[in-house]
Amino acid sequence: MVNLNNILGLSIALTLIIIALVFTRKEKYSIVPAIVFLSLIFASLFAPPLSLSPTYLAFLGFIYLMAILNLTSINSLKVRVLPGIDYLLTLIIVIATFISLLPNIDLITAILALILTSVPTYVLILLGESTPRSVNVGIKYITFMVFATVMYIIGVMVYVYAYSIGSTLLSIAGFIVLLVGLCLEVGIGPFHEWVPDVFTAGDPIPVSIIASIAKFVPFIITFRILLTYTIPEVLPILALIIAIISGISMFIGNIGALTAREPGRILAYSTIANMGYVLAAFTAIISPKPEVLTLACTAILLQLLVNAFGKIGFFTSIKGGGSSSILTYILALSFIGMPPLMGFWSKLFIILTLASIWNTWNGALGLAIVLVFNSALSIPYYIRLAKMLGRPWSRTLIDGIVLITALIMLLTVVPPFWFIQAINTFTFKLV
Amino acid sequence: MSDAFLFAILLLSPIALATPIVIAWTIRPGAEWVRKLAILAVIGLGISLAVASYILYKYTFIIPISGEEYHRIVIPWIPDLGLYFSFIIDELSKVMGFLTAFIAFIIGVYGLEYMAHDYRLGFYWFFFNLFTASMLTVAYADNLMCLFIGWEGLGIASWGLIAHWFRDDDELTFVGYTGRRVKGIKMWWVPSFSGYRAITTVRFGDMPMFFSIAAIYVLTYLLGHPTLELSQIPWEELLRFIGPFGTFTLLFMFLLGPLTKSAQLPFTDWLMTAMTGPTTVSALLHSATMVAAGAYLFMKLTWYIGINTHWKFFEIPGLDAVYVSMLFVGFVTALVCSFIACGCLERKVLLAASTAASLGLMFGITATAYWTSMISPEFGMFSVMVAFWYLVTHAFAKACLFLVAGHLIHVTETRFSVGDWKFTRTTPLMTWAFIITVIATTCLGGLPLLTAYWVKAGMDAVIHGIAHVAEHLPEAYSIAVAAFCLYLLTSLTYAAFLAKFLSLNFVKGEHPHHVHAHGGYVMAFGYSVLGLALIALLITYVGGYTHYFAEFIHHGSEPIAVAIGLLCLISYLVALYRPRIQALAKVGEVLHDRLYLPVFCDVVMGSIGWGFAKGFWGVCRGIDWWAHNGMIRLFKWFSNLVRSIQRGYLSVYIRIVLGVILAVTLIFTITYFGISLT
Repeated sequence: MVNLNNILGLSIALTLIIIALVFTRKEKYSIVPAIVFLSLIFASLFAPPLSLSPTYLAFLGFIYLMAILNLTSINSLKVRVLPGIDYLLTLIIVIATFISLLPNIDLITAILALILTSVPTYVLILLGESTPRSVNVGIKYITFMVFATVMYIIGVMVYVYAYSIGSTLLSIAGFIVLLVGLCLEVGIGPFHEWVPDVFTAGDPIPVSIIASIAKFVPFIITFRILLTYTIPEVLPILALIIAIISGISMFIGNIGALTAREPGRILAYSTIANMGYVLAAFTAIISPKPEVLTLACTAILLQLLVNAFGKIGFFTSIKGGGSSSILTYILALSFIGMPPLMGFWSKLFIILTLASIWNTWNGALGLAIVLVFNSALSIPYYIRLAKMLGRPWSRTLIDGIVLITALIMLLTVVPPFWFIQAINTFTFKLV
Repeated sequence: MSDAFLFAILLLSPIALATPIVIAWTIRPGAEWVRKLAILAVIGLGISLAVASYILYKYTFIIPISGEEYHRIVIPWIPDLGLYFSFIIDELSKVMGFLTAFIAFIIGVYGLEYMAHDYRLGFYWFFFNLFTASMLTVAYADNLMCLFIGWEGLGIASWGLIAHWFRDDDELTFVGYTGRRVKGIKMWWVPSFSGYRAITTVRFGDMPMFFSIAAIYVLTYLLGHPTLELSQIPWEELLRFIGPFGTFTLLFMFLLGPLTKSAQLPFTDWLMTAMTGPTTVSALLHSATMVAAGAYLFMKLTWYIGINTHWKFFEIPGLDAVYVSMLFVGFVTALVCSFIACGCLERKVLLAASTAASLGLMFGITATAYWTSMISPEFGMFSVMVAFWYLVTHAFAKACLFLVAGHLIHVTETRFSVGDWKFTRTTPLMTWAFIITVIATTCLGGLPLLTAYWVKAGMDAVIHGIAHVAEHLPEAYSIAVAAFCLYLLTSLTYAAFLAKFLSLNFVKGEHPHHVHAHGGYVMAFGYSVLGLALIALLITYVGGYTHYFAEFIHHGSEPIAVAIGLLCLISYLVALYRPRIQALAKVGEVLHDRLYLPVFCDVVMGSIGWGFAKGFWGVCRGIDWWAHNGMIRLFKWFSNLVRSIQRGYLSVYIRIVLGVILAVTLIFTITYFGISLT
């Protein structure tokens, strides 16, 4: 827990620095302490007591990179409601994400990470220009998030309690409440209602943060809680519920996006679909084999990375009124799942996960077919989106950020099997 | 030399060596040097003949194969699906392969002269050699899918060859009296339409056959030994597994292929109009390939069902229905087509009808195995062998007669029977053609002591064999009587129309208007060889080289066989003397119109075809509509539905979420208490 203390100390220092900058009206320099601070936190993960494997640290490097992109993109906002503080809020989410990905954390820390991810977004959503429309969006978002977090925490409490007394009824009930909380939190259908409105009417930059880094923590801690506190008897029911919700989400997302016209709205439905894909890999908890769980976890994290970088790229280019069409096409093809882009591998890993649990649970085949069908369904609107946002290359901050996201999608020209190794060395059970 | 390599050469050399003329003809159609490449194609047939002869020699003398023995050559193709290129050498196939290769080669040589001035030789030789290779595949194949490839090769090649003169501009190639209509229906046929009739009719049978092969694989799979090898299928277990109705359905669907290909009733008519093709094609089509393939496959099927069930057909429920149907379809076709042949004045159509009649006899005689095998397994095998040797005899004789007919058409420039004694005596080579025709007709007609007589003696014996089982099966007696009557009438009619063919073309026909008597030596060589082959076959029979032939001789000396032979002789002589009877002209007209069977082929089957075509067109339009409109509309509707909940009102959203939570809770509660109550 040494690192958490370090993080706490650093956070206080950073807060003081930024507040000082805000009071001296030098907020524009606050990006410097923010990035220094982020780097220090990332560096502290290399420190001895954690002893994380090099491959796992490489994976955490992606989160670090994503945080830097998020911080940089805030700079492209013309009007900043809370200059300086916005960095601080983003960094809190990043810290929570790192915490959720550390080994040997307990349940309280996990829930704390969720709250630390959720609460800053309430403020972040209001960062754009203040118009009646954005206020409307803010209220919708905050209402849903509060509802989600409360449901989630209640669900977790019931679920863990049911585990300790061995009650299947309570366990399933707790799981349902927990899942509803998760669905509301990340926008999985049929609890996705806030997503299209917020993604369309909100400012693209805060939305890109909400759509990228903020998606990690809920999924990761849910997966860790399910791994730790599940009564084996309820597993088939859990898998069935997960599969149904995941399938509904994929269909709502992909079909909704087909006729959506605004880029933000298309991306909103695309997010709903992507969250469905991620959830599909959760069915792997039914398998007792550690290698299957590793594969599932790899699939979940890789799909979240694809979604996060893709959304940063697309929302940033919406903010800039478009970006280089080559880059938008790369992002779109990655979302579609075209090899060798990263989106192909993440979907492949999900399908491999489903294939490896097929002999334990027959429904996996159906879910895999639904997933493949949905990938095909998504082709038209991603291509349309790439076309809508494409324009000639220009040397701007926007195109720079989009270029980096596109390059990340291209990283998997070398097949990312090291990713499985990275996760393999890691234990996801809570203490 | 490995057997696999041997078979590769056997089957591929005709196609490989026909390729040069095919390619050259597309580059320089009609050039003199390209025409000479036809010799290469015939050499390809020659190589096949050499290999087939080697196989016959090897498996008769070096590794003797007789009776129920066989030798298999298996080359893997897709073993997981039971698909192998597998060939079997047994009592039937070793002779059948040789017969096919021999006749194809002789006709190939004949074709060098007959087709010398044709307008698309590349097309002709490609399909001619494909035809031969396909038939060789059918002859030797053991795997049913491998066989089916050859089978379909026959189908497509027959289409190409029958419709060879696709320009439909030469009256000499038509069938029927040009311009004749009966009740508004066209009664003359041009090559392109005849090709179409042939392929549609055989495809009509091939589809059920194909599904039946698939069913056989699935059934053997269910029984635990998936196989498509005809000789390895556990028939007894399989047929008992599917029960009497299943047995009849499976085998009848399978036999629809042979029945259509061998032009049995009611599918005979394509065979008559197939005469629009070049005479070489008619000769090959009617002797050892295509139509013979159907009868041959039925023999092979009977042979291996017999071996597998230890020749106890009668113990398997459902087989009786199959064999009674085949017996009567065969004999009725034989009789009807013999009558039709009597009414024909077109040289080749007469021979075509006679072929259908012969095939009917082959089917009927093969089917007798069901009853004769009750007496002894050997007698059952003898039934199949009688039919098979009749096929061989018929192949030589019929190929010979067709080649003579081709020569006559060449000389007289008409497809109708003309030719009197003066013409025969004065025209070069015609006397020789006359002699060969006498040999072929007498040898095929079952006249005493000549080639077919001995086989027909075997036929008498097996039909009588049916009556011998009457103590076990009371109805066998009436079946035997009916079959015998049909057989006797067919034999007499058969001898009569053969004599009619001889008489009207050489002795008592009209004097030809044109005589075109140049060359013809290669053609004469072709039918002479086949005529001599008939005599060689006679010597083989009389020499009693196998125990089957010894049986032929034995049955040939029985009084009933002698009596039937003498009756055939009388019938032959009467017809030779009076080839046309004016008093029967009206009947002749009906027979010439083939009892209006063309109506079935052109109108009934045509309507079925159109029905299918229209049905599928509708389905295709439906698919188009679905792909271009329906699916898009559906997705649009659904997409709009999904998006329609985004009204922008928070209260609506909260209601939706609460509603869903309520629904989930309800489902959970009901399910949980439902489970705990049970």
